[in-house]
Amino acid sequence: MAARKLTTGLTGLAVATNPHHTLGVLYSKILRCLQKMPPDAAYRKYTEQIVTERHNLVKAETDVTKLEQVMNAGQVEEVIQQAENELSLARKMLEWRPWEPLVQEPPSEQWKWPL
Amino acid sequence: MAATAYRGLFSLARQASKTVVPRAGSVRLCSTELHPTVRPVNEVQKQTLSEFGQYVAECMPKYVQKVQITAGNELEVLIPPEGVTPVISFLKDHTNAQFTCLADLCGVDMPSRGYRFEVVYNFLSVRFNSRIRVKTYTDELTPVDSICDIHKAANWYEREVWDMYGVFFANHPDLRRILTDYGFEGHPFRKDFPLSGYVECRYDDEVKRVVVEPIELAQEFRKFDLEAPWEQFPNFRDHVASEEVPIKEEK
Repeated sequence: MAARKLTTGLTGLAVATNPHHTLGVLYSKILRCLQKMPPDAAYRKYTEQIVTERHNLVKAETDVTKLEQVMNAGQVEEVIQQAENELSLARKMLEWRPWEPLVQEPPSEQWKWPL
Repeated sequence: MAATAYRGLFSLARQASKTVVPRAGSVRLCSTELHPTVRPVNEVQKQTLSEFGQYVAECMPKYVQKVQITAGNELEVLIPPEGVTPVISFLKDHTNAQFTCLADLCGVDMPSRGYRFEVVYNFLSVRFNSRIRVKTYTDELTPVDSICDIHKAANWYEREVWDMYGVFFANHPDLRRILTDYGFEGHPFRKDFPLSGYVECRYDDEVKRVVVEPIELAQEFRKFDLEAPWEQFPNFRDHVASEEVPIKEEK
């Protein structure tokens, strides 16, 4: 077994004790949340793609250092943070429903530049 | 997607070094061809940015009005004021965006427009080494949602915009003036605010304190016509400031 990681080297980010378990829980929570969105929503489509890809990597690779390399998204603690952010975003997205048509057309000439 | 973005930015850096730096070993480049004062266009970076702009617009069709690229390599997302919280949360929390750093927030005043104020947000994604600008519009009475809950850094910036332009931010924890003097009235960066202000302050020796009184000018404010009779930049007569990225899906 590789030497246990002592620090992430990032302020305020503690070493994760059981990253595979944490990531598995978070990813299944995100996927369950995405299930509630309409299937043709682009946000659901892309996020499902990212999350399932990462979930499969987590399942396939048991070594943390190698997992960080194949994921290519920073240290595993940062990946956990990203998953937490994605989960809270997905829950808020259910409320905002951004897949609906444009809420307000801009007034004509509003974005014209130079004036 | 994350990996592709990474590779894209990497190849972009290589491309840049190829186009910008004239190598010593190759044919000597003529100064008329190099144009050292004109910024070279980086097609790869531009492509990456416009693809990301389309991605944002596709994910949030409810809130994105327009996506454009200005100055060759600056991505702008133009949104209505309702979309401030959702779009900025999306840019911060989404795995493919991660614009976690609020670099700047400012206002612009253009009185000839329907909504006279623009609020501009600049973000930096440390993970993907890229920047994005989000713009929205408002007028004197319409409040814009505060993004203090999302980005802590927005607190003072929003107070600044409130002080200088009088744009009201809803749900801001502490919306006070920040730059102007005690008891100041008005919003100095508005175009209809006079250059000399409304009051002047001086030390009055009789009452032994600083007094503030309405401004008195020795002569009327004079407007000089400083424009030259000839055209300043004929090469930029047909210059387009920004190019639009198509976001509507073709079916």
